[in-house]
Amino acid sequence: MDKLPWLGASVKRKEDDRLLRGSGRFLDDVEETLTLHVAIGRCPYPHARIRSIDVTRALGHSGVEAVLTGQQVVARTEAITALRPFAGSAPTAFYGMAQEVARYEGEPVVAVAAVDRYVAEDALELIDIDYEPLPHVVTVEDALRPGAPQLHATVPSNVVVESTVRAGEPDRRLADATVTVEGTFRINRVSGAPIETRGVIARWAEDSSTLELWASTQTPHLLRAQLAHCLRMDETDVRVIAPDVGGAFGLKIGVYPEDIIAALLAIDTRRPVKWIEDRTEFFRGAAHAREAVHTLTLAADRDGTLRALRDRYLIDLGAYHGPLGPPLLTNVMLAGPYRLHDADIHRRVVLTNKVPMGAYRGYGQAESNYVREVLVDRLARRLGQDPADFRRRNLLRPDELPFKNVSGVTYDSGDYARGLDLALSRVGYETFRARQKESGQQGRHVGVGMSCYVEFTGYPSSAFLGRGGARFGAYESVTVRMDRAGRAAISTGVSTFGQGTETTFAQIAASLLGLDPADVAIHRGDSKGTPYSVGGFASRTMIAGAGAIEKAAGQIRDKMLRIGGTILGVDPAALETTTGVVRRRDDPSVQVSIQRVSEAAFLGYPLPPGEDPGLEATAYFDPPSSAFGYGTVVVQVEVNARSGEFALQRYILVHDCGTQVNPMIVEGQVQGAVAQGIAAALFEELVYDRDTGQLVNGTMVDYFMPTAADLPVFELDHLETPSPVTPFGIKGVGEGGTIAAAAAITNAVCDALAPFGVELDRLPVTAESIWRALAAARAKG
Amino acid sequence: MTVALLVNGRPYERSVESRRLLVDFLRHELQLHGTHVGCEQGVCGACTVLLDGEPVKSCLMLAPQAHGHSITTVEGLAGRGELHPVQQAFRDAHALQCGYCTPGFLLGAVALADRGVALEGAALREELAGNLCRCTGYQNIVEAVERYLRQAAAGRRDG
Repeated sequence: MDKLPWLGASVKRKEDDRLLRGSGRFLDDVEETLTLHVAIGRCPYPHARIRSIDVTRALGHSGVEAVLTGQQVVARTEAITALRPFAGSAPTAFYGMAQEVARYEGEPVVAVAAVDRYVAEDALELIDIDYEPLPHVVTVEDALRPGAPQLHATVPSNVVVESTVRAGEPDRRLADATVTVEGTFRINRVSGAPIETRGVIARWAEDSSTLELWASTQTPHLLRAQLAHCLRMDETDVRVIAPDVGGAFGLKIGVYPEDIIAALLAIDTRRPVKWIEDRTEFFRGAAHAREAVHTLTLAADRDGTLRALRDRYLIDLGAYHGPLGPPLLTNVMLAGPYRLHDADIHRRVVLTNKVPMGAYRGYGQAESNYVREVLVDRLARRLGQDPADFRRRNLLRPDELPFKNVSGVTYDSGDYARGLDLALSRVGYETFRARQKESGQQGRHVGVGMSCYVEFTGYPSSAFLGRGGARFGAYESVTVRMDRAGRAAISTGVSTFGQGTETTFAQIAASLLGLDPADVAIHRGDSKGTPYSVGGFASRTMIAGAGAIEKAAGQIRDKMLRIGGTILGVDPAALETTTGVVRRRDDPSVQVSIQRVSEAAFLGYPLPPGEDPGLEATAYFDPPSSAFGYGTVVVQVEVNARSGEFALQRYILVHDCGTQVNPMIVEGQVQGAVAQGIAAALFEELVYDRDTGQLVNGTMVDYFMPTAADLPVFELDHLETPSPVTPFGIKGVGEGGTIAAAAAITNAVCDALAPFGVELDRLPVTAESIWRALAAARAKG
Repeated sequence: MTVALLVNGRPYERSVESRRLLVDFLRHELQLHGTHVGCEQGVCGACTVLLDGEPVKSCLMLAPQAHGHSITTVEGLAGRGELHPVQQAFRDAHALQCGYCTPGFLLGAVALADRGVALEGAALREELAGNLCRCTGYQNIVEAVERYLRQAAAGRRDG
């Protein structure tokens, strides 16, 4: 028998049946009797002092049960803490509501709980708020100017944190190199924008003196810990339940102000309180992501050997440091897949009057890939080298791994150049230059661009996170329990938001326990009844979860063998589990069904002497190391050199995520991530007006999320290099598809327009930005 | 005011405020939670239902406007033990991840099949542009709908 029969099988998803029938249970599908509905009043200014709030008329409005103001919230709660505080970071007191000063358009300033949402919104209009608008800043450059408006008294410079990573001798290498190129790049502010917005239901459970919170969250346990802290409660007295989550993408991690607001209203009214975010609120309340300005320098020798990297970058944090705040992986992954020993990376995290930044799929990796890979192409052009040749020369070889990069993380395994070559072969790169020339003679401008990435997946141990001051671990945990019918149930604190965890966890457990995945039930997302869990983010669930399942299932299997041995009168050492049975390894005819063994465990008889009843185990697994996926994107475009309009003709991604638990789900994850990568590269940008400080495109009508008609067919291929450092050789895969999109597309457009000397340095790439770059290049002559 | 209508073949009559959105009526009066809300502006299509067989965005309609009409929601597609062919095609092609947008796509696809069109590729992508999905990148949705439309067309030929 295959050791792990369901590992690597494209099992159809367990989640699908309920979701296809419309029987999934999303946050707003949870309906409790006597529920009050919350509408939140939000500051319409980017920066304003709240002189007074008069709620008298709202309180008198029929159907209104409670009104909550910032003064009450701040008096009764603690500020939201960072899950991963940075050393030397200045505090930006981030409460559930603004008290005296609101610092971004959309910051909650008042809330109404009423019999229904319609009435609650009516009542909001009866609240009189006297605002004194204050000077605002919505760009990092403005925020750093002398005399710029200050957001927080604790942060006079508007710089929340400043940090440097140095390795080797970057100054000397930069000075000695034959060629250096420098570029300044602007990365757009975008939103993960799940189709289900955020939402929360809070209820004070009198019977257990517990605050129950249903939330659309990726991290039930972390949300519980953060919320309990904010409410000055013990987390044992808080229960967080994540129902089906309608997309998350990093945006639904940790506590949000609205969780605190709903909890306080539930405590006050002793009734269930529901808040469902509408889409207009979403763009002004849910974490924004990615925005940064980088000035990057790369240096190389004449032969094309990459020598050094220097980056000076500014992250636009928005108005507060939220649970996660600025990305860490920008600097961790800046060197990418290349043989680079010398680097000088300096970042400043800057406050602006905008929605607080948070995580979004790829979180820092897409940003660093974009700036590095676009500049790599410029460097290759400067050297007169083919961009593929340049990369091949500098990519780490398999025999150089494991390799500790300039930021101190260790790439475990892979064949980076093979990924590049495979992707290039798909586009017919050997003959492409000839074809390109031919098209050029016909006046058509075709280009190919590429981008290579390494993907950080999972965390390299809780101790690693702890040394950085993190308030969460790297582990995941499960309880696995066999029922008397011989089926297994897994309890996990991880919630379900599209990633297919219910199916893949079942595949691992079924493989180890001799069951069919259909016989493994998953109970997920409820902090009550699940062991401490970190949650689903950082492409870590599969790695850490598989390790926990392996340990728990191993304990259960050992016990099944002991009980089976007693039933069969055979030494357990001579037994094995396989599909549905415990049997003698050397004589399969001597066997007992798992169902019979499970029933014995339930009845407590027959059991070996001294054996406790039950077949149940709880296990935690703390990964000893991160695993690094990698890949290459190759894009072919055709650009109209008059208008700047362009077409994505080919989009090729070759990736390697180690052992694939479920190839169908892996491919789905990659496709979805690619779409989000292209979305941020070509379509999406949250635009703030510099004069008014207003978000000008905060609706789905104006914020352009791509439809099926806007995206090309993705051509995917993969390699499979099992990681030597993770259970079953699994690497994470959730984020990789987003990472390389912007650079590959930018490089393709620049390649197509190379005859004009066009360089692009901002996202998104649009016909207009290309047209402007063409005009600039022509003006230069 | 009173709204009387058929939903999934079953008659309902309810008294509602005239400003009640159809989607809120379906979800919170009739407890048919399969129809989802994504934007309330008619962009995302998660709230798509069929009104007398035509796809409409139920966040852009008031409940009283549906008075006297027949509505199909995702709950009306299949009986308990079976999946509708479009649901089966989505399952087979792994055309859903979080599942939030899925009911809207399913009903849109059913309307396409009812129109008797067997689209594929770019033409189909244009037809699907009234629904947003943030998880799948659409590729598998396009494949599922192609499969389903081919099957529906074959069914019409045979039937």
